[in-house]
Amino acid sequence: MCFLGNRKYIDMASHVNTHDHHYHPPGLQHQFEDMKQQEESVTIGMWVFLVQEIMFFGGLFTVYLVFRSKYPMAFAAGSNHLDAFWGGLNTIVLIVSSLTMALTVFYAQRGDRSKQVILIVLTMFFGSVFLGVKAIEYTDKYNNGLVPVMGLNKKVKDGHATEHATYALPFETKVAAAEAGAEAHPYVNPRGEFQWTDITLVEQALEEQMAHPDGDYLTRSEEIGYFSNGQIDINKFRDKVQIFYWIYFVMTGLHALHMIVGLGLMTWLLWKAWKGTFSAFYYMPVEMSGLYWHFVDIVWIFLFPLLYLLGRHFMH
Amino acid sequence: MSDKHNEDEHEHIGIPGYLGVFSILIVGTILTYFAATIDMDWIFPGANTLVALLIAFTKMTFVMLFFMHVYWSSKLIWLSAIASFFWLAIMFAYTMQDYLTRSAGIFSG
Repeated sequence: MCFLGNRKYIDMASHVNTHDHHYHPPGLQHQFEDMKQQEESVTIGMWVFLVQEIMFFGGLFTVYLVFRSKYPMAFAAGSNHLDAFWGGLNTIVLIVSSLTMALTVFYAQRGDRSKQVILIVLTMFFGSVFLGVKAIEYTDKYNNGLVPVMGLNKKVKDGHATEHATYALPFETKVAAAEAGAEAHPYVNPRGEFQWTDITLVEQALEEQMAHPDGDYLTRSEEIGYFSNGQIDINKFRDKVQIFYWIYFVMTGLHALHMIVGLGLMTWLLWKAWKGTFSAFYYMPVEMSGLYWHFVDIVWIFLFPLLYLLGRHFMH
Repeated sequence: MSDKHNEDEHEHIGIPGYLGVFSILIVGTILTYFAATIDMDWIFPGANTLVALLIAFTKMTFVMLFFMHVYWSSKLIWLSAIASFFWLAIMFAYTMQDYLTRSAGIFSG
């Protein structure tokens, strides 16, 4: 009781002191001398967080680096099955959202409330489009047995009812299939397992290796990892493609999670901006959310070529 | 602190500058796609990936310098931005110097 009483007294005293001696602008926290100091502290804090995020994603990029260096052909095969159109569209969508975010900061610094609100809504719109496209892509993986977890794919017992969706295939493959007059083979996946049947790239690499025994067309890991008794082993190859899809889902999933967090931040910003909180004097929340948003954009700038385009040059 | 002073301080690159960076990013994306469709393995294996990463690094540099305002930030911010890549490089290098030098045997494959 006594302690509480004392504490209250001290609090009141410090409060009175602060307000007696200098003017407290809105938005300035008690522990900072002035806005300049507060801005610097906030910025360095945000950057320390972003550096941590870089290391967080960096661990996943390391996993990617290790497995891609071991099984480049499986990675190329898996990557060629992703749709570069959706990936490219999402890249553009994110870049546009980065622009609207940068402009939000620009207008927040000028205290232009209506433009801020419009631009935040636009940023949220593009962020949602990104997630929508990701949902389309994930659905496609689910329908085609490309989710690397058993039972999480669509269970297909009757092959006649649903045939392999051709829109999921890369454009070049579709053209090749049409030219060859290949009919869609029935797709059966009763337990929802990861499916992979395409070994063209390994066959190509093997042919090259036979023709040029001195060349390095298959890595040491591949020579062991794709073959059984001197024959291409479809199951062993599938397991390596599955590694690629694990990495694809974990990396894009973590990135999508960051987008969702970003949308939450934007909702909060929208509320604050609507109330007219930000001005030339106080705009750091907008600036910091902007840093986060741009960081998420940068991660995608790397994910797009590394996941969607890595084996594209093998199609010719 | 007058209003005029504030305006100057927050000028950065202005709207034309932001649009300029934006168009560089769009061109970079298109370039990434078309560079990926050309087979560059005849130069050396992995040339495609190198080109893709060079474009990605350029795009990232523009985003960091101008959209994230690092260009106008204090030296401490420059340092933390660069240091993160330094640590990343250590992680990549030390991991790969292990994996790439494992001889054939139970650990490879």
